[in-house]
Amino acid sequence: MAGRRVLVAMSGGVDSSVAAALLHEQGYDVIGATMKLFCHGEDLPDRPCCSLDSVNDARRVCQQLGVPHYVLNLESAFGRDVVQDFVDEYSRGRTPIPCVRCNTFTKFRDLVRKAEALDCDWIATGHYARAEHGDMYRGLDHAKDQTYFLWGVERHVVERLLLPVGHQTKAETRAIAHRLGLEVIAEKTESQDICFVPDGDHLKIIRRELGDDAPALQRGPFVLQDGTPAGEHDGYARFTIGQRKGVPGGFASPMFVVAIDPDTRAVVLGPRDALLGRGLVARGMRWMCPTPLGVGDSVSVQHRHRASPVEAEIVRIDGDEIELALDAPLSAITPGQSMVLYDGERLLGGGFIEAGSAAPRRLSLPVLA
Amino acid sequence: MAPPIYLDHAATTPVRPEVLAAMTPFFGARFGNPSSVHRFGRDARTALDEARSRVAACLHAQPDEVVFTSGGTEGDNLAIIGPWRMRRALGRNAVVTSPTEHKAVLEVVHQIAREGGEERLLPVTADGVVAISALDAIVDEQVAVCSVMWINNEIGVIQDIPAIGARARNVGALMHTDAVQAFGKIPIDVTQLPIDLLCLSGHKIGAPKGIGAMFIRRGTPFEPLFHGGSQDRGRRPGTENVAFAVGLAVAAELQLAERETECARLGAMRDALQAAILARVPDAVVHGASVDRAPHILNLSVPGTDSESLLMALDLAGIAASGGSACQSGSVSPSHVLSAMGVSRGLAGAAVRLSVGMLSTDADIARVSDVFPALVEKARRLAGAA
Repeated sequence: MAGRRVLVAMSGGVDSSVAAALLHEQGYDVIGATMKLFCHGEDLPDRPCCSLDSVNDARRVCQQLGVPHYVLNLESAFGRDVVQDFVDEYSRGRTPIPCVRCNTFTKFRDLVRKAEALDCDWIATGHYARAEHGDMYRGLDHAKDQTYFLWGVERHVVERLLLPVGHQTKAETRAIAHRLGLEVIAEKTESQDICFVPDGDHLKIIRRELGDDAPALQRGPFVLQDGTPAGEHDGYARFTIGQRKGVPGGFASPMFVVAIDPDTRAVVLGPRDALLGRGLVARGMRWMCPTPLGVGDSVSVQHRHRASPVEAEIVRIDGDEIELALDAPLSAITPGQSMVLYDGERLLGGGFIEAGSAAPRRLSLPVLA
Repeated sequence: MAPPIYLDHAATTPVRPEVLAAMTPFFGARFGNPSSVHRFGRDARTALDEARSRVAACLHAQPDEVVFTSGGTEGDNLAIIGPWRMRRALGRNAVVTSPTEHKAVLEVVHQIAREGGEERLLPVTADGVVAISALDAIVDEQVAVCSVMWINNEIGVIQDIPAIGARARNVGALMHTDAVQAFGKIPIDVTQLPIDLLCLSGHKIGAPKGIGAMFIRRGTPFEPLFHGGSQDRGRRPGTENVAFAVGLAVAAELQLAERETECARLGAMRDALQAAILARVPDAVVHGASVDRAPHILNLSVPGTDSESLLMALDLAGIAASGGSACQSGSVSPSHVLSAMGVSRGLAGAAVRLSVGMLSTDADIARVSDVFPALVEKARRLAGAA
């Protein structure tokens, strides 16, 4: 069937399994591929290495569909582009977002390369997002929407990307899994953790990669915004902007982490109001829309996974750096996280947050609601 | 689509019809336990003894020098750890091997090091051959066992086992060879060879997966790894797999009977395939090409390609081949054998092994000679465009 061959990235979970099954049902010539991104080796003695269970689940689904399945070894690229960046970002006092790094630099690039080698016209994943003619839109199930993690995928990749589950809810996906007899994966629980961080403990990874004496893991001071000492912490890598857990009490109002200074290892505390920013600077800006927007244009910006977007105006663009003036303040604008720009449902692009800022000078007046 | 072509005989082979026929009664009427006193037991015992004698004869060994195992990995474990455990107390705590061994040997040697033994690796040349000149400096009176694989499973290079064994035994070390790929390719007469232990595997020669044999010369010190029964003189306790032992005997005999004609046939096919690929891909690097090589293995790297993509494309084109060492998950990592030979990471990551065998025909070779270069050219076009 010419023009209908698709390489499906399969994690062994319900979403990508149903994606593969739906495409198979629609008559596509499906090839399944599971990416091996890391290997814990003997770090986790009671678990099989290399996410073996996931690979096996994907393989079983492919076997049930009667389609080939392969394992792609991306360990070295993933280690370099994602894991190394992850620990470096924590060292710099930032909070990394490895799924974006992986989608931007590792996963989709290799998938396209393999698709070309195998004469696949299409690639597919189980993401909750919609791709149409090179544009990407939020998944219809907003509670599951994953476009926040996909802004770095290049437009030419999106042009050949199929996202079969982006048009349905998670409940529908599970129902389809049952209808198609994919009982192996139909009720698998969702992984909330970062895939390569065992037990959700990112400090383990930092310790493994940088050693016990990494500065980010050493004792350091808590300080208030005016520099007043407020105790000690066990390593700034334990903190992120907006965090309250682990912060000393005894203040008139609850205190939150408002900044991290890797040079002095200081974790800066402030009241809730101090988390609010009216401006935002990001780097590594990439546009998915065919024509990049410019200074003075209006966008919707989302600064965290699951945060509600706010309206904003582009006030400055320098190379891949962009600055936005926000119509409404955002809380906990966190360096290292993504800021993603939308036009309604449509994904325009995104970048990595460098800093929040005070209200930048706007070129136009905000529209008053 | 044309029927798929199997060029992975070094990985495994199908069970020969004669082997299956010989095994069948032992899944039915002749089901007895060889250790039982009654007629069912006696019948099974007779079959097992006969199988042992026939396997021994294939090696010119005595029947009591043959231990049935579950295959190559178990054999290598027994043959190295068993004697080492006996000899370490006598001041021979070291084991010697080469860095191009199968993991069944390398990991065993690593395990011995973890248990307090000493691990010593022999240097290999750029062709993957053990540097004999370095042997005397490494194999000394502290060495319990020296283990070198006869034919390398990835690149097919043949080691000079008679020379290595002679030097190892000169200093009182025991000589073991993993002959999993060599059995049926190289004539083996243990009465003439300076070796003490040798392992072979059934599924490489038309017997089922899960059966193998270890030759252990009379008088070789050996501590069993398993405990629980007196089977196989206590060397390998557990109720014997009579059916598979019978299958191994039949397969081994057939393999030897056709050794010369089959080796000539396989060598001609391999050489034709190699020539055809080199004619269209002149810069392809054939590993181990300039030294003595087994007739059934062709391992090559095409610069500018990667084995993962090439193996997938070959599979989709109906050609089954393999790459470096496959891990449990099925993903391909660059081969430790090629790395040990000093092959660059890029080239090692492009290695593809094509191994001919009983299923191979001239028509297969003709088709692969056509498809392989075409896939390579396409992969390179894509790499060039990227």
